[in-house]
Amino acid sequence: MRKWMVIAAPYVWLLLFFLIPFFIVFKISLSESEISIPPYAPVFDLSEGWEAFKTKFALLDFEKYAFIFSDDLYMAAYWSSLKIAAVATFITLLIAYPLAYGMARAPREWQPTLMMFVILPFWTSFLIRVYAWIGILKNEGLLNAFLLHIGAISDPLQIMNTTTAVYIGIVYSYLPFMVLPLYASLEKIDQRLLEAAEDLGSPPWKAFWQVTFPLSIPGIVAGCFLVFIPATGEFVIPDLLGGSETLMIGKTLWSEFFNNRDWPVASAVAVLLLLVLIVPIVAFQWAQQRAREAGR
Amino acid sequence: MTVSPTINGTAAGSSPSERRLLRTAAPQSGFAPWKDPSKQPIIRFENVTKRFGDFVAVDNITLDIYDREFFALLGPSGCGKTTLLRMLAGFEKPTEGRVIVEGKDITDLAPYERSNINMMFQSYALFPHMTVERNVGFGLRQEGMPDDQIKKRVDEAMALVELGKFAHRKPHQLSGGQQQRVALARAIAKKPRLMLLDEPLGALDKKLRNQAQFELMRIQEQTGTTFVIVTHDQEEAMTVASRIAVMNQGRLEQVSTPGEIYESPQSRYVAQFIGDVNIMEGKVVSLPGDGTVEITPASGDGRIFKAGACEGLSVGQQVWLSVRPEKFRISLDQPQSNVNVVKGRVDDVGYLGSISHYHVHTEAGNRVTALRANSSHSVERTISWDDTVWLEWPAESAVVLKA
Repeated sequence: MRKWMVIAAPYVWLLLFFLIPFFIVFKISLSESEISIPPYAPVFDLSEGWEAFKTKFALLDFEKYAFIFSDDLYMAAYWSSLKIAAVATFITLLIAYPLAYGMARAPREWQPTLMMFVILPFWTSFLIRVYAWIGILKNEGLLNAFLLHIGAISDPLQIMNTTTAVYIGIVYSYLPFMVLPLYASLEKIDQRLLEAAEDLGSPPWKAFWQVTFPLSIPGIVAGCFLVFIPATGEFVIPDLLGGSETLMIGKTLWSEFFNNRDWPVASAVAVLLLLVLIVPIVAFQWAQQRAREAGR
Repeated sequence: MTVSPTINGTAAGSSPSERRLLRTAAPQSGFAPWKDPSKQPIIRFENVTKRFGDFVAVDNITLDIYDREFFALLGPSGCGKTTLLRMLAGFEKPTEGRVIVEGKDITDLAPYERSNINMMFQSYALFPHMTVERNVGFGLRQEGMPDDQIKKRVDEAMALVELGKFAHRKPHQLSGGQQQRVALARAIAKKPRLMLLDEPLGALDKKLRNQAQFELMRIQEQTGTTFVIVTHDQEEAMTVASRIAVMNQGRLEQVSTPGEIYESPQSRYVAQFIGDVNIMEGKVVSLPGDGTVEITPASGDGRIFKAGACEGLSVGQQVWLSVRPEKFRISLDQPQSNVNVVKGRVDDVGYLGSISHYHVHTEAGNRVTALRANSSHSVERTISWDDTVWLEWPAESAVVLKA
């Protein structure tokens, strides 16, 4: 009985906090917009009886999805989100890899401290940290003031409210999610493997590509998914740093819900986003599974 | 490609990669290049010292190792044997002194520049992401050898360790014994002149280890490679090695053949490290000049023991007399002679099947271990607890130790 509860707990959790909300959103996406509270119809009410339920059920349709597919704006937003997330993930990887490598090679007694530095930003609210970047990146901000002061530029750089600012924001915010899995996989690589490679005639830089890099691929895969998946649906960073120039699906979703008050379309956007992300999530699970099966 | 089986491996004009894996085996009997002053050693450590901070891992060692030797570095953990081996591989640089291999000073060469030296690691250090075949071929790929030649050499090396059918497995799909063979094949595939083995059989169980020891010897003979093995297992060193260097606290205690190490150790440390031994402190009373020495025990009971003399003894000098347990003749009857005879009482008997151990409490109050092969059962009455026995040993089988 106790064993049963242990197994059931995560499924109950999934049912309560993922599947049920998902079906509510999915149902809204099939409804029609109305100027009422809630702003969509039909609203199911079981007190009206089975026949009424059936009539209302027949009103549900996929019209909103057809609308989204017919409107280039949505498609462009999805595409741009995926592109921004992919590029940002790649930049994060390029920065995180040397960082994680340095951490893994650092003397044992330093490693917990270095690890703490990586997690340190989490002690402050995410929102406040992204807000702080406005102070750094805006035209009168710290970065421009510094560059003007040392004479590197004569006019302030327009970084704020561009896609560049969104990249900076995503790379900054998600860096720890990349560093930690990379560190975990780099740290457990046996140093004797590199000695063996060197002994067999491979110079250190070649040994890195032949031994260290392939053995860190599980960490790279995990880190990339941990950054890519949330970055695709990111709302706060493009909203605060990207301004009106950046098109990302998270922002579109927000404006459908709160500016247009078109809940059915917003819900359809959310359901499609989930479908877009399910592909990499399944790929991630599969990669993890394979890594586990391959053993160490 | 010229294929020339030569004793030294390198035929004139052929590159190292063209050397044949299987060279003609040298006759092992009478193999003693260290006694031949005309022979040049393949490895020479010249006054090599290695310090890690304050700790002296290797203390001013000078050592020659010759071509085709199976040389064992033997000692307890922390004696510096692994450091010495790692200096040959290039993973440690000597603090002082030089390392010379094949006449070339390699002290400052990085490991990947030492193409004639390969190492088999203690934990095997197999690349987990590569198949057995890719592991074995790794070193050859670094040389930029064409694929078809790599394939041939890999097959050859895998046949040598009898691993052919595992070519496409990953290391974690193999047993410990098979992994050990892969590690050996990977190092041998490069056809090094010098093969370093760091506790190569430490992870195997006893039965497999004995088998692997003979296999190592077979491969060493077949390939004609010089092997240097690090081990803490004295039986292993005795089994495989042509010569053994017994190390203690970064110094060489003795460098000799297994037989010499066992039969004529030069110090109490060596005598005790290799096999069991009974050691008695004493003083030289006379040197009759017939190659023997007379010794009286330090306990001062006036008895005289005779032993084979070694060089540099003088009357009155403090020495130690060592006798291996199997050199004693243990009997219930008093022997005719009274030279090198002690009387005692049996405290304990350990029956091991083929042999028995006897712990004897002597009249002088020492505890001595004697050993007797149980070759002729029921001929003599069995020696048992509390029996009075006499231990007798020939003068030449007792060794006088000065340190």
